Amino acid sequence: MASRDMGRPRPGVLSGLSHVALAVWALLIILPLLWTFLASFKSNSEIFGDPLQLPGALRLDSWGRAWDEAHIGQYMLNTVIVVFFGTAGTMLFGSMAAYVLGRYRFVGHKLIYYYFVAGLAFPVFLALGPLFFVVKQLGLLNSHVGLILVYIAYSLPFTVFFLAAFFRTLPEAVAEAARIDGASHTRTFFQIMVPMARPGLISITIFNVLGQWNQYLLPLVLLAGAPDKWVLTQGIAGISTLAGYQADWPGLFAALSMTILPVMVVYIIFQRQIQSGLGSGALK
Amino acid sequence: MTYPGEITRRQLLRRIGMAAFVAGPGAGLLSACATGGAGGGSAAPTTSIAASADAKNPFGVDARKPLEVVIFSGGYKDSYAKDLHEELYKKAFPGVSIKHTGTQQIGTQLRPRIVGGDVPDVLNNSGPDALDLAALAAEGHLADLAPLFDAPSIDDPAKKVRDTVTPAVIVNAKINDRDLVLNYTVSHRALWYNAKLFASKGWTLPKTWAEFTALGDTAKAEGILLFAYPGQKGPYYQLWNVLYTAAKIGGNQVLIDIDNLVDNAWNADGMRQAVAAWVDIQAKYGDKAYFGLDHTQTQVKQLQNELLFYPVGSWIENEMEKDKPADFEYAIAPIPDVTAADKMPYGAIQVGVGENFVVGAKGKNPQGGLEYLRIMLSKEGARGFTMKTRNLTVVNGAANGLDLPAGLMSAAKAQDAAGQNIITDARFEGWYKELFDYGTEQINVVMAGRITPEQFCTNMQRKADDIKQDEAVAKQTRSQ
Amino acid sequence: MERLRKYGFVAGFLVVPLTLYSVFVISPYVQAFQLSLTSWNGYSAIVRYVGLDNFGRLLGDEVFWQALRNHGLLLLALPLTTLVIALFLSFLLNLGGGARGAGMRGVWGSKFYRVVFFFPQVLAVAVVGVLFQAIYRPDEDGVINGLLAKFGIEPVGWLIEPGLALWSVMAVMVWQGVGFYVVLFSAGMAAIPKDYFEAAAIDGAGRVRLFFSITLPLLRDTVQVGWIYLGIAALDGFALIQVLVGDKGEPDGATTILPITIYKNAFSFGKVGYASAMGVALFFLTVTFAVLTLRTTRRERVEL
Repeated sequence: MASRDMGRPRPGVLSGLSHVALAVWALLIILPLLWTFLASFKSNSEIFGDPLQLPGALRLDSWGRAWDEAHIGQYMLNTVIVVFFGTAGTMLFGSMAAYVLGRYRFVGHKLIYYYFVAGLAFPVFLALGPLFFVVKQLGLLNSHVGLILVYIAYSLPFTVFFLAAFFRTLPEAVAEAARIDGASHTRTFFQIMVPMARPGLISITIFNVLGQWNQYLLPLVLLAGAPDKWVLTQGIAGISTLAGYQADWPGLFAALSMTILPVMVVYIIFQRQIQSGLGSGALK
Repeated sequence: MTYPGEITRRQLLRRIGMAAFVAGPGAGLLSACATGGAGGGSAAPTTSIAASADAKNPFGVDARKPLEVVIFSGGYKDSYAKDLHEELYKKAFPGVSIKHTGTQQIGTQLRPRIVGGDVPDVLNNSGPDALDLAALAAEGHLADLAPLFDAPSIDDPAKKVRDTVTPAVIVNAKINDRDLVLNYTVSHRALWYNAKLFASKGWTLPKTWAEFTALGDTAKAEGILLFAYPGQKGPYYQLWNVLYTAAKIGGNQVLIDIDNLVDNAWNADGMRQAVAAWVDIQAKYGDKAYFGLDHTQTQVKQLQNELLFYPVGSWIENEMEKDKPADFEYAIAPIPDVTAADKMPYGAIQVGVGENFVVGAKGKNPQGGLEYLRIMLSKEGARGFTMKTRNLTVVNGAANGLDLPAGLMSAAKAQDAAGQNIITDARFEGWYKELFDYGTEQINVVMAGRITPEQFCTNMQRKADDIKQDEAVAKQTRSQ
Repeated sequence: MERLRKYGFVAGFLVVPLTLYSVFVISPYVQAFQLSLTSWNGYSAIVRYVGLDNFGRLLGDEVFWQALRNHGLLLLALPLTTLVIALFLSFLLNLGGGARGAGMRGVWGSKFYRVVFFFPQVLAVAVVGVLFQAIYRPDEDGVINGLLAKFGIEPVGWLIEPGLALWSVMAVMVWQGVGFYVVLFSAGMAAIPKDYFEAAAIDGAGRVRLFFSITLPLLRDTVQVGWIYLGIAALDGFALIQVLVGDKGEPDGATTILPITIYKNAFSFGKVGYASAMGVALFFLTVTFAVLTLRTTRRERVEL
């Protein structure tokens, strides 16, 4: 192998350079997050001092304040509930619609597909006002059920867009074989197509979890009257506004850390599944 | 520390309560968070509740009816409502239930509800996301507060509520000649500085622009900036400052003309001179880094004595209380004379009322809403507010005997010294939000030196003309 | 019979998603489209129709055009930068280890890098915005400027210089987005049969040539999907810009974008009708972008 490498840069050098490039990008990501975490232990004047110094003492009071004022515990639980059911519903209904639109030819199938995809192109907040009345008329205002249904509806365009393309690429032969065996359309879908589409489903699930986890405007309007039902982003927005009025920057960074950490932990636990799912799904 | 001509605390407190606001209309839009303001649209019928002479319950509140209170939870937070005013209300009507919401996003949360006709009984409409009160008034959503002002005061049933508050409340309550808005707080705006730093350095407040810049050089030598304002999120502090400076040079008429969208109001001499003067200060004594800092960041810098003067209102003392070191004492400094011929003499400051409370006319319990405001305007309600927030209310004499912080006392003293020379508020902030918004953007551009003061005035005038011609925008006027 | 069964199945699968979507998404948007033909202020009970006036006004609105210019810049630069960096990093991750033994392999620690690179993706935009405000602070207390100060470099006004601000915002978008595409491309590269590389390596092709002649063409579809996602992101940017620089397009309109302009007109200025017209314009802009991208690159799998 050594002889083959003559005349080209040696792998050792290149490998070293790759490491430098990769390490630089990794640091660009880790350092700001680490800084946030450290800032939560700093005092205001330390945050406003040399950004590179460490906190002078391990101050935990800001974490207490953030916990109380941003209601992190309660809101975290609410968020988990809403995102769990929201994503589950999105995946169920989204994959059903996508499957039918991707693999069946019927009158208007293209029209319905475009009907869904068009939803990608409109700014959410413009619908906020009218949406409020729709939800109100259904008696679902200030309820998690209402919010979950709305999350599902707003996640459908992307889910259908992505999964329809994915289902289309699955081999027809398997579905054909199932049909010959006498499996119904519904059984074929749940028992054969869904398992085959697993990578795609996983990657789009991740997308939806992230999207719904970060949603801010919808809960702000739809849960306005029920503060005990609020979600995490509302808590962060609250404490970040308060930080502006009371100059509680450590509290803000503590709240940020508190929301970042659990997400990190979950992500690290599931990173293998996420990465493989995302990769294989997106490739199709 | 002693100031020249120090008056006793007791005298001072009496003045805060009693002497205030003889001159000029108070300001509508005060605290760091207040927006909204009063203004017109076509007057729509508004429900009016007749007040009886029953001092205990003049509006005939039904204790079985729940009350809904929505409070903008900004610099004052919302515990003054939750733990104080609402408790007082419950004491007056045992067994009553109150639904309390504190929020920073008044508009986003309430707008759709209100369009549907559902307005909370009591609403503190403040903050960057406040509702357009003129539009609400036009739809008849706001209850008439005249019965409140004519109701007997809780502390002295022989007196009407209107006689227990500073006159500016009544002036600023009006939207199209109806009393619809209660401004609850009083604040003082000019430049704020660290009195202890000045004492320790032996510096005195500059009275003229020459003294101002001379002090700038002295401070520069010590590594201190003469002046800074927050360019991020808070450039409106500097817009206010420039407007008040213009009023000092050319008189309150400059601001009244601007509010009335008078032709060429922005090109008035006073306006041009004010902009030019401050642009010059920024160029010679400023630091461009502050264009990217927000108000709290800038205020922390002032606590660290990195800048001398900061354009803001008296709420700052409460805002920074937690971080204020022992060697820092807030005090107010009037804007120095810009020219030798300023219409207002040295000492003029801006004093006004703020924090807009309204009662929903079409809500479930407007009687309760009025009664709640009456409780807020009682001595107990007002004192409690001052104790909780370290800010004064519009209730006369309510702060008597309270141990007020130094900054508030300095503000009261400055007001005393200003006498009749009170700078008015600029109401286009609430009337023509688009113009104000544009102004806060343009002030950064001119202060950074990317356009000239003349261009700033020209741009503002063009925008004002656009608004004037826009039929969709309801116009307001003021005479004083 | 089979036909009937098929249609029954299709209908059964579509009824719930279609209903949810029509009720919660389409019906509000239809109302918003309707509002674009009115002068509604957001409060009044009476809604006045003004025909296409709002659209006519749009054409003469400086702010609107400025926003379009900024979106144009974002549409070009954001996908390009993100994809180039992501491709570069994933190439290093997967093939940077050199040809050894059986074939090309990833560098040491590539798993760790992949996990870390994806981190920003899981952060809420609000969190990222607050964080980067601290990082971009224009005085020496800012994280970047503090570092620069150590080398005696004057603080830079990342978000306050009109020429820099949009690029600084874009850098945050790139920072957040790259990890997602690294994972995407890594999977793509892992799927490329090793023989390809071995054959090429035996022929004496360098790694750079390997990348351009083998990796890139095989990843074409994936790159294209990425371009569309990023394009849609470039037409949004609402939350990030709102938190990072505020809602006035500071400085000097350099960060003015349509969603924020729409939001302000609708909720601050009481011009819901006019804002809705901008929303309609944005809608057609996004659709046009998606159609153009897909048409010009002729992707068969995603039909449009």
